[in-house]
Formats: sequence, structure tokens, C-alpha cells
Amino acid sequence: MTKRTITSVGCGVALAALAALGITSLHAADDISSGTPAELVSTYNTLADVILSAKASEANVVRSILAATYRHAEVGVAAAKAKLSAGQDARVIVEKLATLVSQLGNEGDASVAAIRKRLLEGGHHHNAAGEQQGIFDEGFVIVTKASRKVFLDLAGRIGKLAPKPDAASLDAAWKDVAAEYAKLTAAGR
Amino acid sequence: MEGRRRRVREADGGGPLIRRTILTGRLLSIGFAATLALACRHEAPPRAADAGPAALAGPGGFHFTDVSEAAGLTRVLHAGRPGKDHLLDSAGTGAGWIDFDRDGLLDIYLVNGWKLDGSRVIEKGRNALYRNRGDGTFQDVTDAAGVSGEGHWGSGVTVADYDGDGWPDMLVTNFGPNVLYRNRGDGAFENTAAAAGVEAPGWNTGAAFFDADGDGDLDLYVAAYIVATMEEVLNATRRLDWKGVDKVAFGPFGMTGAVDHYFRNEGKGRFKDATAEAGLADKGLAFGFGVRAVDIDDDGDLDLYIANDSDANYLYRNEGNGQFMEVGLWSGAAFDAHGAAQASMGVAAGDVIGDGAVDLFVTNFSEDFSTLYQGDGQGFFEDVSDRTGIGKATYMPLSWGAVFEDLDNDGDRDIVEASGHIYPQVDAHPEFGMTYRQRSTLLENTADGRFADASARAGEDFQAPWCSRGLAAADYDNDGDIDLLLTHLDEPPTLLRNDATGGSWLTVVPAGANGAPVIGARVLVTAGGRTQKGDVYNGGSYLSSHDPRVHFGLGTATMVESVEVIWPGGARSVAKDVKANQFLTMRR
Repeated sequence: MTKRTITSVGCGVALAALAALGITSLHAADDISSGTPAELVSTYNTLADVILSAKASEANVVRSILAATYRHAEVGVAAAKAKLSAGQDARVIVEKLATLVSQLGNEGDASVAAIRKRLLEGGHHHNAAGEQQGIFDEGFVIVTKASRKVFLDLAGRIGKLAPKPDAASLDAAWKDVAAEYAKLTAAGR
Repeated sequence: MEGRRRRVREADGGGPLIRRTILTGRLLSIGFAATLALACRHEAPPRAADAGPAALAGPGGFHFTDVSEAAGLTRVLHAGRPGKDHLLDSAGTGAGWIDFDRDGLLDIYLVNGWKLDGSRVIEKGRNALYRNRGDGTFQDVTDAAGVSGEGHWGSGVTVADYDGDGWPDMLVTNFGPNVLYRNRGDGAFENTAAAAGVEAPGWNTGAAFFDADGDGDLDLYVAAYIVATMEEVLNATRRLDWKGVDKVAFGPFGMTGAVDHYFRNEGKGRFKDATAEAGLADKGLAFGFGVRAVDIDDDGDLDLYIANDSDANYLYRNEGNGQFMEVGLWSGAAFDAHGAAQASMGVAAGDVIGDGAVDLFVTNFSEDFSTLYQGDGQGFFEDVSDRTGIGKATYMPLSWGAVFEDLDNDGDRDIVEASGHIYPQVDAHPEFGMTYRQRSTLLENTADGRFADASARAGEDFQAPWCSRGLAAADYDNDGDIDLLLTHLDEPPTLLRNDATGGSWLTVVPAGANGAPVIGARVLVTAGGRTQKGDVYNGGSYLSSHDPRVHFGLGTATMVESVEVIWPGGARSVAKDVKANQFLTMRR
């Protein structure tokens, strides 16, 4: 939600409140409405739409981050295997692959962690209930604690392959990454 | 203070402080060292006249005596307001050991904060330089040396000869611009931070000098904590709910992390901010505290480990050309065993397990254990806090400074961490089982891959509760065992003299042509068929700087089969059949 959206919603609420006060003043003293003014309910509903869609947008953005990271990692696996087939040094590309897999566990790189921290600072917990139940780490949107641990362990496993990678071990590790990612995306549907 | 007692004893040979130099019998040099002017000396730096009893505990025992008052360490280190309304009030300050006059005795530098009353500044604390007189006492020479801290609210200190003139200099980090005290060699220092380009105003914390790009001079990394202004600090109120029972200082969540800086030494006393260029951009805006440069993968260059509060710790692997790659997330050193970021404060690094590989240790918040990461020598780490016994022993204290040192000279390194809570309010709620002032923790290496809490066996003075922050270890009395200097909030520091010289020892000083310890030099000592490893470094711990000499406990060994120094760049120097219980200077 941009600052501009928030501002315009806020202005709308204020105007509606003024309008409601104006309407009340036109009625006789014994004819006071006992309900919340319909205009305010309507405005609040609009605001709710914005809040809920922002939360949904957040989930979509994080899903996109994960998807992009996964696709990059897929390309990395292929590139590493190509290098290995050609008898070339694949250390650098395998380490990059390890980094990408760790970023699957962290819903992005350190820049994303900084944004997550900012949201937490503002009191926003996407999965507040999940955090309470110990399912999610603070501020995480899609990746559960358990899944995070799996990705981090797999990242370490791939990283350890980097000095002397071989296609079979790489394939085996990647199979596990793909399985965890599939599980994660299936759960999100 | 009741705990501050002094045991006086006439020292052996405590007469004139004469420096002895004996050439070694057998010297070997291999590799490039053949072309180097290699010298190796059994040097005896002056032993303090009041070095304490030779042994109050038997081998394997520990005994520390608080000698601060008798030593004359009276400077109160201020830390904001009593109620600790802002995190700056409870971050504390560090200490460093520096032989500033090169007389063979390590002197003490203390960093000071400010004293506040509400939003009023009562006193801008002055840093202190205490010259080691060699008789167990220290003389305040701050004014003569010109190192009072320039009026800033200080954080930490790291010691290194950044300009290569052989005289140790100091970088003092501040809440404000850093101060770089260049040692003029005449007993006085000058602040060259502005000219050197390393002021970087902000809330700077831990720092370390190291040769990042292998060009022979020392570069500098400075961690930073939070973006804050003095106005915010002065006007802070306690507004964070603590366990539903009290209000405490707000943060660090809710505050913006400040970026760390890497300064490349350009020569002629100038540094250039090359943070992004070197791959060290602090993209996560992490709350940085501890900094340690150490070769984690035995490839000959220095990597960088940063302890971050409430964020993933950074492990920057040196790619060998002045470029770094952040590998913490997949090397196992960023999170605990469960993949959780911890509130890390201080750091220690070295081979504490004794398998030849560098291990990492971070101190953390209370109700979370300090973490020992066992290294495999290839750049990978595993959190072994649980199975080593460290987890249980460190769970309740809120810990800061840390060091790996063999405190009983039994041939393996132990761990010490300094502790103290950040909220004085905890004392009003004993039901939670924590206190503001806390005992330091001594974790004895039991040589079976485990560590036992030996704090209760380290003497009454060791167990005194303080609200500690900095921890700097050194053999200040040159008697062959490691003493501990702790800083606390709103009190003078504590100097704990080690009185338990259980085993024999060897302290190695890998020195450059100018006599200064060579940062990044690694030392391998083989005695009794076992090889131990150490390195020359600065920084580490929490806002503090240890003894630059490399100390080894040798247990019952009286001779050392070999001492090998691996210099930055790969050249090696070897000395064979070295007697134990001496300071051995090996020159590059």
C-alpha cells in the first residue's frame, strides 16, 4: 500500500465522518440514529479491501520472489552440470546455487530481510497467528520454519559440494530442493 | 567493594626490569622464508613485580583475583541514565590492551560514555589510558597522551599499527565520528580520523584492522548498530513492554539498522570507503556489533565474521583479491542450529575445539544460548552449542565480550564470556529468574569435545556480579597466564589477575621488521605430540581488543617440538626445540 493510497483513504474517512455529522445535525433530537453511519461503514469496507488486498499483494510479491529465485537456481543447476560435463570448474556456480537455495529459505536476500525488518518495526506480522503457534518465523510470509530449515540445510549441502562438485550429488540435492519447493507452492495454493 | 581484595606477594626476581634476549639454538626457515631476514628470540618482557602468587590452584584449576583497586583503575565508565531509557544507555563501552610506549608491558585503554539525568548531560565521560608501571599498578597518562576521546560518547577500541611505523595506534569507535589515535612514538597520540577518512559519523561499534587485499597494509572494517540522533537518545522514554510487567528501552526492532563500513588503506595515512566495491555492502541493514577477521578456510587470507544483534550474522569469505562474498547463509555460521537469527553481541574465533580448524563463538541475549560453531577448516560450520554443553551453561545470562584462551595452561583453550542484562528493571521481577548484574561465565575445555561451567571454581572475585560489557584478555604482568579486564556499566573496570598457573606455557610474538605484531600471522605450536593453533589479531570480543601476542598453554610439557609462524602471504618461519615458559619473538 503506497503512502498516497493511505492518504486518500484517510481523507475519505474524514470526509465521510464530517458528512455523517452534518446529516445528524439535520434531524430532530429524538430521532438520533443508533447505528454506525452507513457512509462510515462503507468507507471502512473500502479500507478493509485495501488492507486485505495489500496483504494478498504481499503474499504474491513473496511468491514471485521465491519463483524467481527458484528459476535462477534451476538455471544454475543446468549451468553447473554443463560445466561439469565440459570438465570445467563449477565451484563458483555451485556456490551461487547454494546462495539461491538459502534465499529460498529466507524469502529473498539480505535486502528483503531489511524490508521484512521494517514491516516488523511497524508492527506488521503477515502470519501473526502462525508465529504464535511456532509455525512461522517472525515476518515470514510463505516459508514456514520447518521449510526454512530444510532449505538452509540443503544450501549447506550444496555449498559443501562446491569444492569438488559431481553431477550425481548435485542432482540428488537439487531433487530435494525441488521437492521442498513443490511442497511449499502446493501449500500456498 | 567487598569483592575487591588484593593478595600481595613479593615477586620472584622483581628487581630491575631488564630485557633479555637469547638467540635460539636451532632455527629453520622454509619456503619464502629462506629469502627473509629471519630472526627468532627468546625474549623476556619485563615481568610485573606484583605478578601474584605462582599458583593458587593446582593444574587444571582456575583462580582469579580482583586487583583493579590496587592497580589504580578508578575511571568510572558512564552509561547514560540509571533507568537505561535508550539502548545507547545500555550498550556500554569497551577496553583495549596496548603497549603504547613499547616497554614490553601492556597498557590499558578504556572507552567511556556519557552520564545523563533525563535529557540532561551530566558528564561527558573521558576515555582513559593507563600506563602499566610493571609493579602491579597503573598510572593515568590520558592527558599527557592526549587520548581522552574528543568528548564523544564512546563505544569501542581496536589496536593496530595502521601506518606501519612500529608504534601501536588505536581506532576508537563512537556514537559520533570515529577517532583514529595515531601513536607519535613520544608518549602522545594525534587524532588523524578526518585526514584518514575514517570518521564515518554514526553509532559505530566493533572494528578490526586487517590486510583484506593482501597488499601489505592494514584495512579497516567498522560495524554500526542503529541510526539514531543524540536528540532521540536524550529524549528517549521507556516504552517497550517487557513480559507484560514493565516498560523498558525500545529497540532494536523499531529502529533502522546502520550500515557497516569497510575502509581500504590507500597508503600515506589515507583510507577509502570501499564497502560496496569490496562486496561488503550491509544490504540487510543489520544491527552490527562484534567484528573478527580470521582465516576460516586456511587459504591464507583473512575472512570476516560480523556478530549482528537480532539479524543473521555475516560471514564474508575473502576471495583473495580484496573482494568478499557473503557465505554465512549456507556455511552454517549465520543462524543457530534451528535456523533462527540470534541477538549476537560479541565474538570469539580460533581453534577452541582443538581439531586444527577455526571455530566461531557468538554471545547472545538472555534466554538464548551463546553459540559455538565448530568449523571444518573448509569454511563450513555447525552449531555444536548443545552437544558441547555450552548451550545449557549460557542460556540465562545476557552476554557480551568473549575470548578463547587457555586460562589454566593445560593445553586447550577455554571460553570466557562477560555478562549483564540491558534492563535494570529485571531486578524488580525476580519471578523471571534473571538479574541486571550477572556473573561472568568460564567454560572449561574438558578436552573431550565438551565445555563445563567452571565459574564457581574460578575464585570468589570471578563470581562477583557486574553489569559487564567489554572483555579484553592479556598477560599484563608477563607471568605466563592470561588475565582478564572487564568493563561494566556505570562503574570502574575490573582487572582479574590470573593466579592459577597450572601448566607451562609459551607466548609467541610474530613481529614485523618494525617490531610490531603482524596481524594475520598464524602460529602452530607442537608440544607433546599435539599441535595447537593461534593467530595475531585485533578487535573481536565486544568493543574490545585483546593482547596481540599469541599465548599457548602447554600442560606438563617443558619443551616445544616446533613453533611455526605462517606469515600473511604464505612465507613460513620455524623454530625447533624451544623451551617452555617464555616469550618467543619470531621476526618476519
